[in-house]
Amino acid sequence: MKATCPVCGKAVDEAAARTKTGETAHGAQEVDPAKGTRQFHGGRWVYFDTLGCRTKFMARPDAYPSLGGA
Amino acid sequence: MDFGFTPEQEALRREVRDFIAEHLTAEIVEELEGLTEGFGVSRSVGRGPLVSRLFDEIAKRGWLGISYPKEYGGQDGDRITQYIVEEEFARVGIAVGLAGSGAPAILAAGTEEQKRAFIPKLISGEYSFALGFTEPQAGADLASLQCRAVRDGDDYVINGQKMYTSAAHTATHVYLMARTDTAVPKHQGISIFLVPMDTPGLTVRPLWTIQNEPRAPLGTTYGAYRTNETFFDDVRVPKTTLLGKENEGWGVGSMGLNLDRVGAARYLISVRRDEDIVNWVKTNRFDGYSPADDPAIRDKIAELWIEAQVCRLMTMRSMSIVEHGGHFTYEGAAEKIWAPEHGVRTSEAITQMLGPYGQLLNGSPYAVEKGIFAHNLMGAFQSGINHGSVQVMRDQVARRGLGLPSARRAGRPEAGR
Ligand SMILES: Cc1cc2nc3c(=O)[nH]c(=O)nc-3n(C[C@H](O)[C@H](O)[C@H](O)COP(=O)(O)OP(=O)(O)OC[C@H]3O[C@@H](n4cnc5c(N)ncnc54)[C@H](O)[C@@H]3O)c2cc1C
Repeated sequence: MKATCPVCGKAVDEAAARTKTGETAHGAQEVDPAKGTRQFHGGRWVYFDTLGCRTKFMARPDAYPSLGGA
Repeated sequence: MDFGFTPEQEALRREVRDFIAEHLTAEIVEELEGLTEGFGVSRSVGRGPLVSRLFDEIAKRGWLGISYPKEYGGQDGDRITQYIVEEEFARVGIAVGLAGSGAPAILAAGTEEQKRAFIPKLISGEYSFALGFTEPQAGADLASLQCRAVRDGDDYVINGQKMYTSAAHTATHVYLMARTDTAVPKHQGISIFLVPMDTPGLTVRPLWTIQNEPRAPLGTTYGAYRTNETFFDDVRVPKTTLLGKENEGWGVGSMGLNLDRVGAARYLISVRRDEDIVNWVKTNRFDGYSPADDPAIRDKIAELWIEAQVCRLMTMRSMSIVEHGGHFTYEGAAEKIWAPEHGVRTSEAITQMLGPYGQLLNGSPYAVEKGIFAHNLMGAFQSGINHGSVQVMRDQVARRGLGLPSARRAGRPEAGR
């Protein structure tokens, strides 16, 4: 599924950000940090094109009222 | 008031030291350095065969979990005796103590089943926790956390994200703080869960720290080269994973965190390099110049030693409060300010004493003591942030220690931890 980065407007591949690349010592799945990023905000996942976009969002979450939540 | 140890405690300290001198061979150090996940090597972090055998020997002597009840795998001993063992091992970079966010919290707030299931295995090292508290927008203001656990029959379903979940890649469980009620004031709607790492929907992603490459040698202050982001996507756990009562997790979590802020490991990560530099100064001569004769170096070292004694006394005070069944809040916070900031001052001063060589990292042929002082210079700053930043700790001292009102500044949340 494609999500839209709320900061730069680009499409983000949700599946790629979640694709398993390995496993921790005790069985949690690991993913590749280079494959997109996301954040749990206001009770749902928001996908970002880059960490830079996420950082901009984190500095001013209230600037994206469409995402709702605190 | 007695600031000394009993003859029995002193004898135990000597016994532990002798044990370490005999058993901590060069081969074990090599294996430890290969294994370290940067936290001082704990018995629960993926062990090699030699380290496993070392821990078997330590366990055989009854030195693990000394102050825990026998019925949960401990020794029914006292906290000061346990501290002595922890201190001696922490001095050589081996963690035999248990984190506050874990066994002590389970002992205080857990069900009988949780105590039996977790405490013996935490003591033996079979289980270990990663601390899942911080989130992208909830660090200093932890109570704003958004990770949610929603009750569904006999289960909870968890969704959310954690930041800096150190050791999530090696731990068996995450000690998770999540929101179970969104309708009440933020500190009241929080609960703690003991979540197995292999629960479906739990994802770990590395975050590399400034200690990443080259890796810090064994014994470096803090020295975590990897921490993590952790994601929870519809993670379903039984209600038996709830620690304490639903919505009362803030109190349980704070109690464990306060213990995390004190103790042998916390004290020693801040002062071990002081001892190393004294030894280095005493034993090195260069073309007729001895740093031990240099007045500037002697002054600085004396000053650092005095500060280190303050660290130690604060630690002993915390241990004594625990031993007498008390709880500390601002005392732990004060210690969590003084010791890491002492570590920063020390590492800066040592770097000045060593000159340019003091900045060479592990792997450089000219690095002093495998670059431990240079790695320490970077790592010291980390210890001022984790388990509650020094700024937030100051706020706790002001509020809880000195009775000042909560600070509220425009654009700044109230400090929560
Ligand atoms: C190496 C490392 C390992 C860590 N391991 C873990 C772990 O295992 N588990 C876990 O849950 N967390 C862990 N942490 C997270 C740590 O607890 C947080 O970084 C810390 O609580 C600060 O939160 P923050 O990073 O969100 O910074 P922020 O809350 O954004 O704060 C940024 C800065 O502003 C200051 N500040 C914020 N509010 C105030 C205020 N009201 N008054 C004065 N100053 C203020 C802070 O002190 C800090 O210096 C780790 C952090 C590091 C660096």
